[in-house]
Amino acid sequence: MSEIGKITRKMKKLKSLVALKDKLQQVGDEDRSPTSPDRPLYIYKEEEREFPNDPLADQEAIDSIEEVYYSDDSWDPSKHELQKLKDGPEKLSLEDIDKDRNRLRRQLAAVSKKVSELVLENHPAYAQELQRVMDLETALQGANVICINGRRHLEIAKQGFTTASLGLLANQRKRSQLLGLMNSLRTIKTLQRTDVRLREMLEEEDYPGAIQLCLECQKAASIFRHYSCISDLSSKLQDTLEMIEEQLDVALSKTCNSFDAAHYEKVQTAYRLLGKTQTAMDQLHMHYASAIHNTAFQIVLGYVELCSGTGDTNFQKMQYKDLCTHIITESYIPCLMDLCKALWGVMNSYHKTMQWHELHDSTNQEAAEADATSSINIEATFNQRYVKQKLEHGLARIWQDVQQKVKLYLLGTDLSVFKFDDFLHVLDLVNKLMLIGEEFCNSKSEGLQDSIRKQSINYFKNYHRSRMDELRMFLENEAWELCPVKSNFTILNLQEFKFLRRSGLVKLKLSSTMSSPQSSPAKLADTRDRPADTRDAPQGFFIRYGNHGNPFDVHQDEDDGEDVMATNGYDDEEKEQNAYADDDSDDSDVPEELKQDFVDEKTGEAPVRRDSKKKYDKSRKFNNAPILTNTTLNVLRLFGKYMQMMNVLKPIAFDVVICMSQLFDYYLFSVYSFFATDLDMSAAADWGLSNKLKTTLKRINDNLILPEVYFFYVSPVQDKVPFPHVSPVVDLTGNQNLYGLAERVVATESLVFLAEQFEFLQPQLESVIPPAKKAFLQQFYSQTISTASELRRPVYRVVAAKSVVYDHILQLMANVKWDIKDIMSQHSSYVDVLLRELQVFSNKLDQVGRHVPIPQPVYNVLWEHCIRLANRTFVEGFASAKKCSNEGRALMQLDFQQFLMKLEKLTDLRPIPDREFVEVYVKAYYLTDADMERWIRDHREYSTKQLTGLVTCGVGSHINKKARQRLLATIEDMEKLKR
Amino acid sequence: MSESYDFLFKFLVIGAAGTGKSCILHQFIESKFKQDSSHTIGVEFGSKVVNVGGKSVKLQIWDTAGQERFRSVTRSYYRGAAGALLVYDITSRETYNQLTNWLTDARTLASPNIVIILCGNKKDLDADREVTFLEASRFAQENEIMFLETSALTGENVEEAFLKCSRSILTKIESGELDPDRMGSGIQYGDASLRRITRQPQQQRNPHCTCG
Repeated sequence: MSEIGKITRKMKKLKSLVALKDKLQQVGDEDRSPTSPDRPLYIYKEEEREFPNDPLADQEAIDSIEEVYYSDDSWDPSKHELQKLKDGPEKLSLEDIDKDRNRLRRQLAAVSKKVSELVLENHPAYAQELQRVMDLETALQGANVICINGRRHLEIAKQGFTTASLGLLANQRKRSQLLGLMNSLRTIKTLQRTDVRLREMLEEEDYPGAIQLCLECQKAASIFRHYSCISDLSSKLQDTLEMIEEQLDVALSKTCNSFDAAHYEKVQTAYRLLGKTQTAMDQLHMHYASAIHNTAFQIVLGYVELCSGTGDTNFQKMQYKDLCTHIITESYIPCLMDLCKALWGVMNSYHKTMQWHELHDSTNQEAAEADATSSINIEATFNQRYVKQKLEHGLARIWQDVQQKVKLYLLGTDLSVFKFDDFLHVLDLVNKLMLIGEEFCNSKSEGLQDSIRKQSINYFKNYHRSRMDELRMFLENEAWELCPVKSNFTILNLQEFKFLRRSGLVKLKLSSTMSSPQSSPAKLADTRDRPADTRDAPQGFFIRYGNHGNPFDVHQDEDDGEDVMATNGYDDEEKEQNAYADDDSDDSDVPEELKQDFVDEKTGEAPVRRDSKKKYDKSRKFNNAPILTNTTLNVLRLFGKYMQMMNVLKPIAFDVVICMSQLFDYYLFSVYSFFATDLDMSAAADWGLSNKLKTTLKRINDNLILPEVYFFYVSPVQDKVPFPHVSPVVDLTGNQNLYGLAERVVATESLVFLAEQFEFLQPQLESVIPPAKKAFLQQFYSQTISTASELRRPVYRVVAAKSVVYDHILQLMANVKWDIKDIMSQHSSYVDVLLRELQVFSNKLDQVGRHVPIPQPVYNVLWEHCIRLANRTFVEGFASAKKCSNEGRALMQLDFQQFLMKLEKLTDLRPIPDREFVEVYVKAYYLTDADMERWIRDHREYSTKQLTGLVTCGVGSHINKKARQRLLATIEDMEKLKR
Repeated sequence: MSESYDFLFKFLVIGAAGTGKSCILHQFIESKFKQDSSHTIGVEFGSKVVNVGGKSVKLQIWDTAGQERFRSVTRSYYRGAAGALLVYDITSRETYNQLTNWLTDARTLASPNIVIILCGNKKDLDADREVTFLEASRFAQENEIMFLETSALTGENVEEAFLKCSRSILTKIESGELDPDRMGSGIQYGDASLRRITRQPQQQRNPHCTCG
């Protein structure tokens, strides 16, 4: 190229040079033309040698050339010269002009010569240069061709190569972009497909996975935000996330009914991923609350609808409380059982939730302690603490809810019509629930206790009322026949007291002293269950039944054997049979028991061995077995049932004890009114009833006995029972059977036996009632139970008073002359009459004794009564003597001595009661008037009549009339004092 | 709450030991079989209100011990019974043989008019049967008493026995053959009818009762 450029520049120079030559030629032409336009050029040629060829001159000429000639091409020399002329002197001189012309010509010639010289001089160079130019031109032409070819090729190349490759590059770029896009699209596709996967995961309950995935997706989606399809996707993801949360919530709620550690862990992890651990806890509690409600409602609703038959009523919309009132009696227990089971399930789930957190958090804790500084851990521990607190607070609330549901259910139905064991079943269930409650949150379960108490009192009052009615029926149907039982019979032989037998009295006492009655529901546990419970206590319900089974399922299996109403098993039957049966065949053990028989264990009194063989017979026959009736057994059974009630019903134990006391009261009152009131009260009323007994009887009459008048008209709701009437089969009037002595003995002694059994139960009863109420029980024991044996006196007094006609003796004594003058060696005949009567009585007593055992105390009381009555008759008879001599007084002593002597053969009773009463009275006769006065004042046991008699009959022998007056006045004073 | 009823009948369940008297009563009242029953001591009691011919009747049932040693105790409950279930064991001829004694006892001690139904219990143990239905049926016919074979285990005919007996008593009351007002009839008017009869005086006396 540069070569080409050089050449081109050279050529330009050349051209300019050529042009300069032309110019020069032109100049020459011009020079001439203005001056001599008609003169040809060659003129100058002819004059060529006009100037000498002198180079110096030429040089001078050239140098003289005005500078202006060397100026621009456009400069016109002719004009210049002409101008010069014009500007010169006004008058043109030819000479000058010519001189100028010659100078100019000279100059021209010099220049021309110079030019020609130069031309000549430069011509070879020119030619050479021209040649080179020519060469150059050729070369250029060649180059041009090459260039053209090159260009053409380049064009081809451009066509064939550059466009394709650029396209390729562009495509390459596009491709890589598209690849990127494709990747994105794939990711998006995956993202979209994750939705399906998420659903699957949700179905698989892999919540943490789902959430993680979802969160990742969201993150991914945010990267692809610029795609319009992504905005839909991410909103969809948001929806999915919300859906997951909802599902998670549902999953969380599921844990309420059946806790599953793996499941729960998933849920918890999921919530942690969501950063909602605390919210989850709040939600969980809400779910528990609703789970409790829903569970309870559904169960009750199910039973109500099942039993309602016609679907008229919309139970669905009912309040739980109202719904509970629609439960029918038959489905009450199964429904309660299901309710308890279900609620147990909820509580168990909660318990497990807590356990899970404890376990889980403790492991976390360790991890956290390892690096306690990181903020995540601080948050985690904060969460843990929150969860822990929340769960702990939740315990009480949940138990409260559970209690509330069960309470409403319990109170919804009137349980008073339930059968006893059904009711016990209900109580067992509730007690178990309370135990669970205590284990759950140390609750005393006030709500349940309260409802149970209400229901129990209601039930028990009703139960007791009908038992009292039944007792009345028993009493009024009772023929007071001896019910044969074995000699060592105690209430423990009764099925109803099996629970005492089983647990053992000692153990019961021990455990009961440890537990105050209303302390805690744990101690409400049925005593029967206690051994089992203590065995299992360290474990607790949540451990025993935490993973399988239900504490309310096992109830039947556990307790069936111990069920109150369930009858005894085979071996028990054996025992019981032995206790009752006293078959005639087992005579083998009689001799041994015979020996024991003579020691009266009740009084501890060593009995006097009598030679009468009848005693042996009696003992042989009755084996010293306790005397009791069918009604007694019934009352004892009721005691047993009541005590079982107490065991399960500690809160109302005291009410039960009161009712037990009423059973006893009524029995006592009946025995009293049947057997102790059929005597004219005026006769010897002063030594029948003790004050204590009187008070007791009055109390019973006032509190328990329905006045006859109101029998038909008072509503049965009242806690009083009608006055009992003895069964018409009981004959209390026949002299032959000693005025129903057998029945009286059976009745009274059965009462005594009942009292003994009641005493036996005292420790048990005391252990179950609140300490504050112990006073009542003690008072009942001292005021009522202890008076049972005192009832013997009024009851047997009737027999004693009726069996011997003392009035007849009194009449006989009135006919005896006491103012005799001789000492009699023979006692009076009335003594024989009296002794005969007593002999008859004794015979009859033995006769009765063959049918019915007559215990020593009864025997003693009977004889005591007879003897006292006889002695009173003696004194009364002696007092009626109008006149009496010393010899008469001696006869009195003789008569009485005779009586005593014979009497001692008739009876074992020692000492003879009231013996002094007679002896002192007889001897008082001998006192001087002064001593007599003191004696009268000291002996107030004698009646005015007797004292008057004493004073009167002595007059004339050793008491003068004056003394008599004074003594009588004294007696009168005393009489006044008595009033 | 004492339930109201039109009549109260006193019933007896009698028969030899081990024939299942208590089980029959238990089945009748609890509708359950008493699994491990032991011998009755003395007398036990149960009551139930049943509906007989549109009348509600309260049955006051005395379940007596069958064992001989309790005879003296149980006899006292015979008095004034309106109806009786005389129970024997179809698998024990021995118990069947004693029927005459029991029947005599019931008629003499209770009342000659006592309505008795003979119950051949343990019908479920047909394989061990020692007394045929026909034989017992003939015995019942000869002694003019009703007859059923029962099973305290399955409950078959248990309620029927009580109902049949009650129905018969009710028929006799309606026909005038039995007079509930007679002492020792074993029949009482229940609260409902009582109230009907004594409405007038009751209303007059009411003020007194409320204060009593």
